[in-house]
Amino acid sequence: MVSRQELHSLLAGEPVFEDLFCSLQVGPKFPTGAVRETREVVALARKFNAEVVRPRALDLDRKMHEEPDYLPWDFVEKANEWGFYSMWLPRLFGCRGVNMVSLSPFLEELSTSCLAMANLIGVHYLGVGTLSATWNLRLMNEIFREVARGEKTGRPCLISLAITEPSAGTDVEEVELVDRGKVTCVAKRVAGGLTINGSKVFISNGHLSTWHMVIAYTDLKRPSESTVVAAVKTGAKGFSFGRHEKKMGQRACPASELFFDDCFVPDAYVCIDQEREVGSSLRPKKKLAMQMIDYVVSTSRAGVCAFGSGAARGAYQEALQFAAETKIAGRPLINHEWAQCVLAEMYKNAALGRLAFAEANYANTLYGLFRLLLWKPFYYCMKYMPRFVIDRVVSPFLNLRLATRLARKFNFDWQKEDEYQRTSGWASLAKFVGSDAGVRNCQLAMELMGAAGLRQDHRVEKHLRDTKLLQIYEGTNQLNRLNLFKCLIARQFPQAEVFEAGEKEGK
Amino acid sequence: MMAANENESLLLGETVRLFASRELVKNRETNDAYPFAPFWDEIVEKACGLGFFNTLLPEELGGMGREITPLCQLIKTLSETDASLAGIIFTNSLAQELLFVAGGEPALRDAFHERASARQALIACPSFINPGEIELAAEARRGGEAYRLYGKQDYLVLGNVASRALIPAVIAGQPGYSYFLVELSGAGVAASAPIFSLGLHACPAVDLRLDGIEGRLVGLEGKGQEYFTQSADRLMAALAALAAGIMAGSLREALEYARQRFQGGTEIINWPEVRMILANMAVEVKIAEMAVTQACQEADAGRSDWPLGCRAAAIHAAELAVRATTDGIQVLGGVGYMKDFGQEKRYRDAQQVQALLGLAPLKKMDFIASMIAKG
Repeated sequence: MVSRQELHSLLAGEPVFEDLFCSLQVGPKFPTGAVRETREVVALARKFNAEVVRPRALDLDRKMHEEPDYLPWDFVEKANEWGFYSMWLPRLFGCRGVNMVSLSPFLEELSTSCLAMANLIGVHYLGVGTLSATWNLRLMNEIFREVARGEKTGRPCLISLAITEPSAGTDVEEVELVDRGKVTCVAKRVAGGLTINGSKVFISNGHLSTWHMVIAYTDLKRPSESTVVAAVKTGAKGFSFGRHEKKMGQRACPASELFFDDCFVPDAYVCIDQEREVGSSLRPKKKLAMQMIDYVVSTSRAGVCAFGSGAARGAYQEALQFAAETKIAGRPLINHEWAQCVLAEMYKNAALGRLAFAEANYANTLYGLFRLLLWKPFYYCMKYMPRFVIDRVVSPFLNLRLATRLARKFNFDWQKEDEYQRTSGWASLAKFVGSDAGVRNCQLAMELMGAAGLRQDHRVEKHLRDTKLLQIYEGTNQLNRLNLFKCLIARQFPQAEVFEAGEKEGK
Repeated sequence: MMAANENESLLLGETVRLFASRELVKNRETNDAYPFAPFWDEIVEKACGLGFFNTLLPEELGGMGREITPLCQLIKTLSETDASLAGIIFTNSLAQELLFVAGGEPALRDAFHERASARQALIACPSFINPGEIELAAEARRGGEAYRLYGKQDYLVLGNVASRALIPAVIAGQPGYSYFLVELSGAGVAASAPIFSLGLHACPAVDLRLDGIEGRLVGLEGKGQEYFTQSADRLMAALAALAAGIMAGSLREALEYARQRFQGGTEIINWPEVRMILANMAVEVKIAEMAVTQACQEADAGRSDWPLGCRAAAIHAAELAVRATTDGIQVLGGVGYMKDFGQEKRYRDAQQVQALLGLAPLKKMDFIASMIAKG
């Protein structure tokens, strides 16, 4: 019917087959153990939800309104006690090593009850993802092991990402914009390291984190080619916190101001200095910066989709419960046909969000951050390798410069452009599908519940306040639509220009 | 813009705009912090002194006649800055309208206190509820000439601020429900702490427990739904005005911010995708304003089918407001989500306003049922 040559050319046409069915392609490659793990993770999330998240969500939200500067250490300590800050970090670094695909279903479960608490755990993995995207194995080995120790000692060690600046939000997530933007966080090379000056805003979990992955630039005139990722520890000289932002929702997850005033970062804590350390990369520096960003956002945006799907499901569940228990116009609401259709629509929205983050994560498994970790031989080797072998044999190797160089060779140079565009495009799609689903379901639930839905103690209004932020952070949904266009559509048309229109319009 | 008498309209508009800019802008965040901060008595008192609560009253009672247009103009202009005061006025106006529909001018006169303080003047009522849609939890029992109320009334708006309340209750053994005027300071009534709600924080509500409080029957027994429907028909225009005002405020703030904020080397107003959002918002605001104007004109002129016009305006403007205020935050990005700006409040208020006068989907079902019934 179709020759081998035809098959190849037909599937290479747009939309490329590889773009379409990541889940189908990953199927045979996915370790069975990871499926079992995911089932256990979802069950654990439901238990944590029932015992910790749901019973505390409303009180904590109320407390944050009464005392806006309150920091929810009690919840963070509880999550630490349950092992959630090291659970998805590789065993390679002395952590639990649960597969990262299962993080999204975990976050979805928690988000059905409280997006703020889901963020208090999930945002830590944004910091983790940033450090991981630099492929600095020595620092990963040091910092991730500190996270694991923090769980044993009961002193939580969280990691944040500090990227957004007062005058640059969207710009810092796209290299085509950042050179035209107003970034001010500057890193100056000095003997033995860097000094950082500038400020960051809207840094989720800032006040609660021990380590901060700070994005700075050695040349503010061409930041896309001079990006530095530096690991700064709370308490470092020249580093201080400002206020918590007064957010509409997700109140329990602080959004912090961070200030850097001649903050010295020793060379050993510079995760990556784009100009110095990867100057020999096969890719132009600008593309390399985008590749690094894409490694991070390809996982974090799937996580935002999971938040959105969870909020969508949470709103749906509250509305369903209300419909089952309430009589409207003389009949149970659940028996009104229009209400049944609204509930079905809500179910659909949550389900499509889930499918979107699953597909994005499968793209990461095939082409992105999870590729090596979920490669069957490596996965099982890591799963069953005795701890003392990891600690005594593998860990010292990770601290060698050679290990980082190999990791960068494999993950930067050997990752093809269409591969990271596929992960990034799918993550963007998932991000706006999930967050839009969350907001839409909250609005539908509010319509269905009327006056009852307005009350904080009925939970839907909190979902509505919480979920709106999902359309904004990790790149606004507008930026993500443009990124999807750039990654998965524009390549068909050489004449297509992305992120250029504003400049021309402005002139 | 909307009033039949243009001079009167201009005067009212100017007064309200001045009041909003002087009183509502500077303390918006503090006022909205209720119930975690004090109630804004001082501003509510000033609004009362300016006659904002009497718009629907006859002129001899200090009102502006019985036309709906001035009320809508007042509510829309206030809502552009802060919809909570408009929510208070809306609820009080609904109570006044119910009194008028049920008992005519004598009932209004009876409830009117000249030179009353704001708290004395206001009448609480469950303005987010269409009592005909739900199972009422308040029951009235007749004892001699008086009625005593038992049970509860959830989400009574202004229940902790006003001195009196209009409560819908079922009279034991009778079909339908009736309205009762109760003194909230009387024995046999207990209010919950203020409800922590989504929006309109400074237009508070409480759950009221009724334990034998005396209630004065308003109008006739069992006619509550008839009174509610008639009153709601006119107040639907005010609901549309509330929604339109919130949207207009959201658009104004989005435009101001977009002119100032830089991304990618240019003001974000120059980014076509931002312009598209602003364009959608501007079209939605224009449509909502036109719907309010048309609804007011039809209602005040007493044209046939004017209730359908008011209801359509309310349903549509409320939906548009939810959409527009969601976009209004988006234009500002992260700061739009923060309390330092007005957008997050408008997002919450718009969703809250959609629930006024009953469930949004049932408003649609009632609307089409009315059309079908008319053939």
